[in-house]
Formats: sequence, structure tokens, C-alpha cells
Amino acid sequence: MIRSAFNVTLPILFGFLPLGIAFGLLFQELGYPWYFSTLMGIFVYAGAAQFMAIGLIGAGVGLLEIAISTFFLNSRHLFYGLAFLKSFGRWSFRKFYLIFGLTDETYALMTTIKVPENFNRERYYLFITLFSQIYWVLGCTIGAIIGDALSFDTEGMEFAATALFVVLLIEQWIKVRKPLPFFIAFCSSCIALVLFSQHMLLVAIILSITAILILRLIKAVTDG
Amino acid sequence: MADINYLLLVILIMTAATYTTRLAPFVFFASHKETPMLTFIAKSTPPMVMTILLIYMLRGVNYLSFEIVYTFIALLVTIGFHLYRRNALLSIIAVTIVYMIAVQL
Repeated sequence: MIRSAFNVTLPILFGFLPLGIAFGLLFQELGYPWYFSTLMGIFVYAGAAQFMAIGLIGAGVGLLEIAISTFFLNSRHLFYGLAFLKSFGRWSFRKFYLIFGLTDETYALMTTIKVPENFNRERYYLFITLFSQIYWVLGCTIGAIIGDALSFDTEGMEFAATALFVVLLIEQWIKVRKPLPFFIAFCSSCIALVLFSQHMLLVAIILSITAILILRLIKAVTDG
Repeated sequence: MADINYLLLVILIMTAATYTTRLAPFVFFASHKETPMLTFIAKSTPPMVMTILLIYMLRGVNYLSFEIVYTFIALLVTIGFHLYRRNALLSIIAVTIVYMIAVQL
């Protein structure tokens, strides 16, 4: 099971490691000891928010402002848990950790893959979440310690994350076989990009869910 | 030396803010029965979120430069490769290596 979880998370490794290194590199310029980059990877564990924080910390921005910005930047996660209300099992330390580790990448992976039948679902999810976070923390640490000395050019490696979403999108299509959700999300993304490029993810998710609910209501009314 | 206490507080606050966003749906719907509406949302969000995330990743591509050409080719290769072999890891590693070579040349 551990091996299988490792294999399915390898694409996340290729996405998280270079991104984590990039974070560590930038973090180092703030002048704090390297292990604070590791700490952020362990406790905050949110890519976009950590990058945003570098600018805010550098400017010495107030804590309240940092709290609010972090909350809004991550508020798309409010919708991610909905897919796992049942499948994370009963309340336990494991469930708290699974929720803690629910990032864009683990959400995308776990909603798409099929858990092999002989595997315990929650345990499998636990390994996926744990591996993913290890990659991220490793990246943050490596970047902060030896980022400057790293001669290996990781430019372009970030395409792994894009490729992962392409592959998962194809798998979602094979699973769903209905163009409507994809079409709605595409239109919502375009609208969100043009009107609210700063908060594109959140706006696009809210627009999509609203649109698909309205369409369902209309269908229910006209059918009934 | 930069202010360690400030940084520790920032980490603490960011941890709490991020965790709140992830935990909220589980707390909010913990006592609710599974309504058809909720099941519908839970089932229809993954394909939508995946579409949105992909567009989000591609939003930074400079469409006035050569970047758009090799990004487009890389996307096509990923789709083709994945439909041909249905092996996610293989598709991703292959296309990422090709993409890295392309951008670094």
C-alpha cells in the first residue's frame, strides 16, 4: 500500500519539490535561519499563501492583515472538503491530518484515483497526504539551505503540476462523461480571469457551483 | 537579525487561517445528513475544480511569445500520451522532461 501510494504521488513530487525549492530560495533572502522555511512547510503547508507571505513578512505587515489575506487566498479549500465528508472516516487524529493536508494537488489526486479494493481507503489517503507533505517540506528545506548552490536547473519542472492536472482532467472526463461541468467551469474560469484575476480560483469555483446548482434547479422545475 | 517572534506569530496565524479553510466544511456539515443537494455538489465539484486548476496553471503563459507554442505542444503530447498508455506517471515525467529541455535550450 505504501508503495502504491508513493507511486501515485510521484507526479506531486515533481510539482512540489521545485516549487518548494523556489520558496526556500526566496525565503532565505528574508534573513531568517533556514529551519523557519522548514517550519512553514510543516505547519502552514500552503504553496500560494507561503509565497504571498514572503512579501508580507518582508514588508513587516501586521498580523491581522496576514491572517485575512491567508484566509481569503486559501478560501477555495472551503469547497474541497465537501468531496471527502464521508470518505475521511470518523473523527480521529488521522482525519484531522487528512484535512490539514488537503491541498489543490492532493484534492485533485484523491478525487480522481480509484482506491484499490483490498486497501483501507483512509490509510491509503493518509500515505498520499503524508508523502505529498514530505515532498513539500523537503523542497522548502533544500531551497533554504543549498538553494543558491544548486547547479541543477529546475526551470520548466513546474510543468509537472500542469501535466498532472491535464491527466487528472482526462480521468475525470472518463469518469463523468458529461460535458456540462467542464463547460461551466471553463466559462466561469474565463469570466473570473477577466474580471477578478487576483482571486480567479475562488471566484471561478463559486461561479461554477452556483451555475450548476441553478441549472439543476431549472431542470428539476421543468421536469417536475 | 530579523525579528523571530514576529515570524513565529506569522507562522502560527497562517497555520490557523489555512487550517480553518480546510476544516470548515467538515465542521459545518458534520451533523448534517447527506442531502441530495450536498451529494450533487460533492460529485460535480471535482471535474469543475480540475478544469479551473488547469486554466489557473496556464493563465501565466505569455501568449505573445514562443512559450505558447511549446506549452500547447506539451499539452497535446500529455493528452496523447495519456490516452495511449493511461499511465499518469509516465505521461507526466515524459512530458515534463521534454518541456524542461525545451525551455532551457
